[in-house]
Amino acid sequence: MKSKVLAFGVAAATAFAGPAMADKLDDIIASGTLRCAVVLDFPPMGSKDADNNPIGFDVDYCNDLAATLGVTAEIVETTFPERIPALMSGRVDVAVASTSDTLERAKTVGVSIPYYAFENAVVARPGLEMASWEDMKGKVVGATAGTYEAIWLEGQVKAWGEGEFRPFESQADVFLALSQGQLDATVGTMEVANANVASGNFGDIKVVDKAPMVPDYVALVTLREEYGLINYMNLFINQQVRTGRYAELYKKWVGEGVPANLTIPGVYR
Amino acid sequence: MFNYSFRWNQAFQSLPDMLAGALVTLEVAVLSMILGIFFAILLTAFRLSGNPVLKGITTVWVEVARNTPALFQIYMAFFGLAGLGILITGWTQPNLGFAVDLRLSPYIALLGGITFNNAGYLHENFRGALKAIPETQTRSARSLGMSAPQSFVYVVMPQMLRISFLPMTNQFVWAILMTSLGAVISMNSDLFGVTNNLVKINFRTFEMFAIAAVIFYVMTKVITLSARLIAARLFRY
Repeated sequence: MKSKVLAFGVAAATAFAGPAMADKLDDIIASGTLRCAVVLDFPPMGSKDADNNPIGFDVDYCNDLAATLGVTAEIVETTFPERIPALMSGRVDVAVASTSDTLERAKTVGVSIPYYAFENAVVARPGLEMASWEDMKGKVVGATAGTYEAIWLEGQVKAWGEGEFRPFESQADVFLALSQGQLDATVGTMEVANANVASGNFGDIKVVDKAPMVPDYVALVTLREEYGLINYMNLFINQQVRTGRYAELYKKWVGEGVPANLTIPGVYR
Repeated sequence: MFNYSFRWNQAFQSLPDMLAGALVTLEVAVLSMILGIFFAILLTAFRLSGNPVLKGITTVWVEVARNTPALFQIYMAFFGLAGLGILITGWTQPNLGFAVDLRLSPYIALLGGITFNNAGYLHENFRGALKAIPETQTRSARSLGMSAPQSFVYVVMPQMLRISFLPMTNQFVWAILMTSLGAVISMNSDLFGVTNNLVKINFRTFEMFAIAAVIFYVMTKVITLSARLIAARLFRY
């Protein structure tokens, strides 16, 4: 009787201990689904087509990652601020959402090597003449809250000691504010800025200058302790570049030209 | 499935900023209440005046304030008015030669939006309170030789404010919580705005919002408790 109880106990213990040993990478493969957080109001990286299907660079990138893992991809739409809570609460496995790899964030989440890099543009409101990015000094400027360019711009306004910084919740609100003159200028991703100027939805706004900042390297993000998955993602990004898939996706979504260089001379990784 | 390890250090480092934000929140809430009470009394007077135009103003104001989301009202105060200004300018600029600028700063737009909402709800509080004041009070005042406005200001209004004192604190609490909506119009100096911006930088979502929630809770609790104490002292029969 006693031994039976003991045997049952051991069996139960191993049954519970077993899955706990598996990490996220195993879980994804076992479940057959890779759930990616993607921001879908950020063309050309993520948006929706006429039939409301998710499309864009990040969507394809998630599909590629799922394909190499041998699982199906599930795109979970999130906003920029929601990406990390979605990851933390287990609603998604990874964020393929143009997440800038800041050191501040790396204290909280696990960050891969960069998979893309953005240049940033200074965009002026209709009717405002600006010669260069430095004309933003003393003006009312703003950007999408918490983004890489917003952090840079807020720092710049503080350094100038004049003017005002206004953070908005979405990229759409930034351009709405710009078209209404609630903002004099904004700093945003070159790809997005060009798309919005070309759309004509925001009046006579224009790209003035390139913002003089370090390129905005973006990375895949998962939980901080999931080393297995982080290693896998690093190799995956490397392979994407190596096989030419990176250049292919760039051509498909961003256009002609040379995709941003993801290596930094003089350092490892 | 909740895979999260709480790390409080980083969040607690932001506490001074958040407390400074709480002060701004309180400031906006207090100002919006003072202005809200002023406008609510005005709206009540409009409604009682019998003038159909003034009555119409009250009806429209109260209907919109009470039946649309506060988020919508604040968004409109910022983006809507600015857009309206551009629209009007499109006509005035070529025809009359001047531009109309209805652009409000985030602070003023937030204050305006909450005041608008407060006035709508407080008007209804006052309407309820007026129902509790017997009609005979006005008639007695009038028979003593007071004019209609005098009897409203000196006899009815003090009683109305007294009856609606505790319901007003309810609105005050609501005003404090509504300041969090400023985030959509780029308000970044209030408690929620400060927290929201810090979260986007350090990604410590749950810790930061938990602390903000505690600060909100303490603020509202202190207000409701002190309101009760004040009421007990002021309104002793």
